Amino acid sequence: MSFMIGLVLLAGVVGFLDSRLPWPRAGRDGRHP
Amino acid sequence: MIAGHFGLAAAVKARAPTTPLWALMLATQWLDIVFVPLVSSGVERLETAPGAKPGAYASLIIHADYTHSLVGALSLSLLLGGLFAVWYGRQSGFVLGAVAFSHWLLDVLLHRGDMPILPGGVGGLPRLGLGLWEYPALSAALELALVAVGAVMYWRAAAHLAPGDDTVRRRANLCGALLLVGCLLTLGLSLVGM
Repeated sequence: MSFMIGLVLLAGVVGFLDSRLPWPRAGRDGRHP
Repeated sequence: MIAGHFGLAAAVKARAPTTPLWALMLATQWLDIVFVPLVSSGVERLETAPGAKPGAYASLIIHADYTHSLVGALSLSLLLGGLFAVWYGRQSGFVLGAVAFSHWLLDVLLHRGDMPILPGGVGGLPRLGLGLWEYPALSAALELALVAVGAVMYWRAAAHLAPGDDTVRRRANLCGALLLVGCLLTLGLSLVGM
């Protein structure tokens, strides 16, 4: 249960909110993926 | 260990900011994500260690002979890193593959000598695991330390993304706080055997 809750909360919720922050992004050849 | 892996992924995000956090969180649990359907289908299994209370924290012997074998973990990590490299570039692919394999390295500290070198334990080679789970307080302290260091490193890195921008600072604080709460909740649920 802790595994599933942790995954949903951290990879899902926090991961989504974090993706809205202006972290530097780089894909192949330094371009946005 | 569950929460400790998340803590490590948060620390890596602070050092590898171009790699998405959601992918790091997924990568750090990748071996267990593959493990879940294999347990459900009976290919891999769990048992309670002799003398341990069933369902308690750190009470398990884990027969994950494919996903948590050395060669299996390396293969799964290479697969994940290679897939992510297609979308996020070679550097992020390498980081995510390394984070996936870090799961195996941390598990070797904790497991009770149940991790084979070759998939399926073929060849009868020695099984690995230093057995920190024999000392639940120590393994919980290690997890807590990983969570604390990871959350602080992530929070500090996020808070410095756009100095002077209050909106970004508020969002960064929200992410940092939720990450810490999520890790601590995961650790707390593990400690009570859930």
